[in-house]
Amino acid sequence: MSDGGRESGTDNQTSSKKSKVSGGDEFGRAIAKIAVTQICGSTGFHSSHPSALDALADVAIRYISDLGKAANFYANLSGRTSSNVFDVIQGLEDLGLSQGFSGASDIHRCLASSGVVREIGQFVNTAEEVPFAWPVPRFPIARIPKQTSSFAQIGEAPAGNHIPNWLPAFPDPHTYIHTPVWNERATDLRTDKIEQARQRRKAERSLLSLQQRLACNATAEFMPAIDGDAGKGKEIVTNNPFLAPPLPYGEKEVSEIVMPKVDADEKKLSVLETFAPAIEAAKNGSLTSLISEERVLPSERPMVHFKFGIHSKSIVAPLSSKAQNAKTDSWFLRDDEKDDKKRRAEMILKEAMENPQELAQL
Amino acid sequence: MNSSSGEGRHDDDSALAEFLASLMDYTPTIPDELVEHYLSRSGFHCPDLRLTRLVAVAAQKFISEVASDALQHCKARQAAPVKDKSKQPKDKRLVLTMEDLSKALREYGVNLKHQEYFADSPSTGMEPSSREE
Repeated sequence: MSDGGRESGTDNQTSSKKSKVSGGDEFGRAIAKIAVTQICGSTGFHSSHPSALDALADVAIRYISDLGKAANFYANLSGRTSSNVFDVIQGLEDLGLSQGFSGASDIHRCLASSGVVREIGQFVNTAEEVPFAWPVPRFPIARIPKQTSSFAQIGEAPAGNHIPNWLPAFPDPHTYIHTPVWNERATDLRTDKIEQARQRRKAERSLLSLQQRLACNATAEFMPAIDGDAGKGKEIVTNNPFLAPPLPYGEKEVSEIVMPKVDADEKKLSVLETFAPAIEAAKNGSLTSLISEERVLPSERPMVHFKFGIHSKSIVAPLSSKAQNAKTDSWFLRDDEKDDKKRRAEMILKEAMENPQELAQL
Repeated sequence: MNSSSGEGRHDDDSALAEFLASLMDYTPTIPDELVEHYLSRSGFHCPDLRLTRLVAVAAQKFISEVASDALQHCKARQAAPVKDKSKQPKDKRLVLTMEDLSKALREYGVNLKHQEYFADSPSTGMEPSSREE
């Protein structure tokens, strides 16, 4: 029999939630549900609603409990504590009275030949035997509680002569004596401030080197030969880039700009993270390793155009003017559609610089 | 009179004893451990396994009777409206529903009521004018 015809999923969920709420009898109920499902299957049902199975399992459990209660009652009535077969038969008669059984109205009937027993006998003979599907362990499992050890078992001498050593030991002193707790980590404000200033200086240095690179970009052919350290970023160029004439548009294939995928809402973007791919690629000598979900920078020329502000405004001003000059340059006509991405990256940089905490990540 | 009744009792006792012995061969669908658990919870105490089997078989008989009654209700429901277009009663799967079960259990004295549906709040589905804000 399969549980094919189910109600909607919510009903299933509520029934499972109910079973979690009901308490410690879940195992017994689950076993009863399986047994009832097997009985329904042997009766002829193909499938069932889970709530109907739950209800029928509950009815079965109640039937067994009521039968036990009735049998116990009859045993106690006869002055016994353990029940025997006649108590059970009387209990069965009590429960079956609504249905009726043969011989119920006999005054002098004998319990041994009671109608219920005969009916059960007929049931056993006619019904096919369907044993339970799974092996069931004895339940509930009784757990032995952990005994508190005595003085002798621990090996501790009792506090006084008046305490014998077979008594349970006293609990540890830390459970009832309050000792003050100190924070072990020493917070030295001075070293923290020094560390912060150092990291800020590192950030400023790396940005300065970037600006220098951008200055080269704007006027000359850029030859990226940066040594690996992110903080230093020194350029070793063969010719003076400031004196070389600008290339006309179309002479040199300008690569597509790849911006690292930055989330504009994300405030916590460290400067190093933004430039990590560029630095990594420069280290490797090729810029194909720049992160890009769609596009990869094919050539060796990163056209990065940033606007960022730092504390000293004097550095900002010439760069922005250079940027405006560069905008009129024909080179940048192609990159109009990428301007907003650049602007976004610049904005993030600015925010990163404004937040001194971000510098701690450098 | 006494002797005949005495012999009758003998037969009854022996029949009962035989029946209990035959129970040990029959494995009821309801496992013994489950029955023992709920019997001990209700105060029933008997070390004899045959009585546990008797209770298990009695419970199985009860449930199978309820299930067969529900099956009759289900079949009666399928046979009543005979539609040749969509569904054929012979091929339709027999599903135990709460409705059939509650009808079957009513004869045994068990009143089973089932919620039709659950709503989010008391005013779900009501017209907005009649809802209390």
